[in-house]
Amino acid sequence: MKIQEIMSAKVQTISPDATTKEAARLMHDQHIGSLPVISAEGELLGIITDRDICCKVVATGRDAGWTKVNEVMHKDIATCFDDQEIGDAAELMTNQHIRRLAILSRDNSMTGFLSVDDLAHGSHDLAGSVLVATNPVH
Amino acid sequence: MKIQEIMSTKVESILPTSTLRRAAQKMSQLDIGSLPIISDDGTLVGIITDRDISCFAVAMGHDPNSTEIQKVMTKEVFTCFDDQDISEAANLMEKKHIRRLTVVNHDNNVVGLLSVDDLARSSHDLAGAVLEAATPIH
Repeated sequence: MKIQEIMSAKVQTISPDATTKEAARLMHDQHIGSLPVISAEGELLGIITDRDICCKVVATGRDAGWTKVNEVMHKDIATCFDDQEIGDAAELMTNQHIRRLAILSRDNSMTGFLSVDDLAHGSHDLAGSVLVATNPVH
Repeated sequence: MKIQEIMSTKVESILPTSTLRRAAQKMSQLDIGSLPIISDDGTLVGIITDRDISCFAVAMGHDPNSTEIQKVMTKEVFTCFDDQDISEAANLMEKKHIRRLTVVNHDNNVVGLLSVDDLARSSHDLAGAVLEAATPIH
């Protein structure tokens, strides 16, 4: 099965200069837990998650209304191509201990997002093995 | 297999009158994503997750330094008994579209937490089914 068959294709993104409060609001409204961070030129710069806002903004006493997305985002983001097999995506997640991948087309533009939840729709076994390999956050 | 064999027994809890920032600090330091909320008299009164803190509190503009947890916590806590079978826990998670359960003993004391990650270590298939049924958060 190809990644493009199970990935989330409608990808909501955010600018690196947006505030983390704006990011939190967007995640709330769209029922999502992470946002790819895209520059004005369309370049993928990183990713920000709901947990980053909890642990890097709230826990440290920073003001989410002033803290920008680029101050807390993860800059290293793993990617896969949309025509690869879902087994390749699972292997990458397992090796890198991560639960989400940005998905690119062969011309390197971002076409989707693949989470371990999406993976579960393709294979319970692959999703379960990714969970075991990644950091448990209870 | 019984829930008590695979649950996390390292149970940290927090008071309903603690602040959101304190909860965020605790989650960050302990590398956990949720905290059961237990009142002075030992009663389980709710649960709070990293996502609740970012997507509800921050997004809605509550000041995490002064807002008490009880204002934003989820009061409906799904529990299971430690001597139940893990497949019953998986069924409950699937039915309620959730990824975590609070585990109690027959005296109603909180004795553990069971997440989909814990499930995955015993059964990829059960964990995958829970993820597929869970409310999608990408």
